Amino acid sequence: MLAIALFAFAGCAALCLAMDKHFSELLGRKPRPGQTLVLRLAGWLLLALALAAAVRHAGWAIGLAELFGLLMASLCLWVFALPYRPRWLLGLAALSLVLAPFSALGLI
Amino acid sequence: MKEGFRQAMAWLHTWAGLIFGWLLFAIFLTGTMSYFKPEITRWSQPEVPVRALDIPLALGKAQDYLQRNAGDAPNWFIQLPDERTPGITVGWRGGDGQRGFIRKTLDAATGAEVPTRETRGGDFFYRFHFQLEMPYPWGRWLATFAALMMLVGLVTGIITHKKIFKEFFTFRPGKGQRLWLDGHNAIGVLVLPFHLMISYSSLVIFMYMVMPAPILAGYDNQDSYFNEVFGGRDLVAASGEKAPMQALPQLYARLLAQAPEAKISWLEIQRPGDRNAQVLFVPDGRERVSVQRGAGWRFNGADGSLAWSARPESVAGIVSGGFYGLHMASFAGPLLRWLYFFFGLAGTAVIGTGLVMWLGKRQVKHARSGTQPFELRLVEVLNIASMSGLILAVAGFFWANRLLPVGLEGRAQWEVNLFFGVWLASLLHALLRPGRRAWGEQLALAALAWTALPLLNGLTTGQGLNHSIPGGDWAMAGFDLTVFGCGLLFAWTAAKMLREPLPTARRTPKAARTPHLEAETN
Repeated sequence: MLAIALFAFAGCAALCLAMDKHFSELLGRKPRPGQTLVLRLAGWLLLALALAAAVRHAGWAIGLAELFGLLMASLCLWVFALPYRPRWLLGLAALSLVLAPFSALGLI
Repeated sequence: MKEGFRQAMAWLHTWAGLIFGWLLFAIFLTGTMSYFKPEITRWSQPEVPVRALDIPLALGKAQDYLQRNAGDAPNWFIQLPDERTPGITVGWRGGDGQRGFIRKTLDAATGAEVPTRETRGGDFFYRFHFQLEMPYPWGRWLATFAALMMLVGLVTGIITHKKIFKEFFTFRPGKGQRLWLDGHNAIGVLVLPFHLMISYSSLVIFMYMVMPAPILAGYDNQDSYFNEVFGGRDLVAASGEKAPMQALPQLYARLLAQAPEAKISWLEIQRPGDRNAQVLFVPDGRERVSVQRGAGWRFNGADGSLAWSARPESVAGIVSGGFYGLHMASFAGPLLRWLYFFFGLAGTAVIGTGLVMWLGKRQVKHARSGTQPFELRLVEVLNIASMSGLILAVAGFFWANRLLPVGLEGRAQWEVNLFFGVWLASLLHALLRPGRRAWGEQLALAALAWTALPLLNGLTTGQGLNHSIPGGDWAMAGFDLTVFGCGLLFAWTAAKMLREPLPTARRTPKAARTPHLEAETN
């Protein structure tokens, strides 16, 4: 279940950064051409990995419910904490990205 | 044409949301609480001792008790203990009980009757969220219609919200009306799958009531439809011949030999002690999303042979049971259950922020004159009573649960009366006090009432946090910690309300500078 949450949270962050407005607000510079596309692809890939982790964890029926639950929770955390603690969230997203594969492989 | 359509949808969103918002707020809040129905009941009946789970032992004890006390009853019901419910509940039809049904709670280890206080516990909030304490079928009709309006509000909200994707990640605090609109939109959009699922599934659950025509066209009455779809549970006829019944733990062992994964939630025993006796084991169904109605194993009580087990399911049954399961979260483990709880609160918050915005936007226009028209004052009073008033009423129910004498006649009903009494009192208070003061005072009282609940629990039962946390009793501790956390939240909002509001002169130009706000949401 942790792996689903980590992939979902990292995916949310990537998809948010894929928008020009949020990219420049959060990272303090304009995205280079192509960078937003890469972020968007990475975001969807991470969400796909979250889906795979969910289905492996609990099958399609309960897995999808878990994925939606954790994805909505990730989005709420990201969006409502963003105005207050942007740097923490970026750090948390990076940490999620690093830990997610280990969690998915059962190493943590 | 397109703008006209969007404006029409915005109009519908505004007015359907206002008229049904107050009721929907109560439905969503009590429904959200129902995700912890067993825990609330557990807190409300602290007399029931927690025992290590031992199903065969519990079955044997329940059978002994029923044999001794209800040997002549036509049927018995046994609700088994599980991780969330510590006691055994047994019930039977007897001549003299209320409505002919007698219900007792037993100690899961000793089988002794536990003298619990009379309370409806979590079941009160659960029933309220779809029956509204109104006589059948009116409460269900009204709640279902409100759910339909919720769905209407969601769909019209999606249409009205022009920038779902552009502002998907947007939340800008600290700017008056903008904050409320952003909050309303963000909670609405980010948790939209839950909102849509919960509103739509509630209509599916009551579809036989909402759309009865297909059933009435094909069947003589609704009962024959239910019998065909879910399998009849008619009482078997008694033979009149006595025959000792197999021990339930043995039948349970036989069931486990056949279905090792089965987790049994309750049993019905028909004609106990008769040669035709039948024992129905009903599984809890927690391993899957789709709730299978009519599932189970039926044994012949006299010789212990398997009489019947569940039929294969139809696709329609799986889909309908799937919506039922998604709504009730019967499959959810602790983490997913907490997520359900938070998303339920999010749904409640969407409704609440909508109501606040409807009023705030219109009050700005009258801010300079210092008076407000009757209809705005009416909405203000109803907003206060339906939100902070309900929060006070819930606290009133829990305080009543701990403070009413255990032997009081009609005690369970008195808890409910106090719930509504406090709610009514909050309405009167809101009528008498100016808006912001009323909000602040009610929330401050709620903060006090909610944060003090763990203390009250500790003083009246000896199962306060100082015992429940070291003892690992997480249902009890979880309740106390949750109400304490809610109390802190209310204290924070009360402090915000009681502080002097920003001078209106500073807000008005801002509202004037962002005229598109008006068009967006009316």
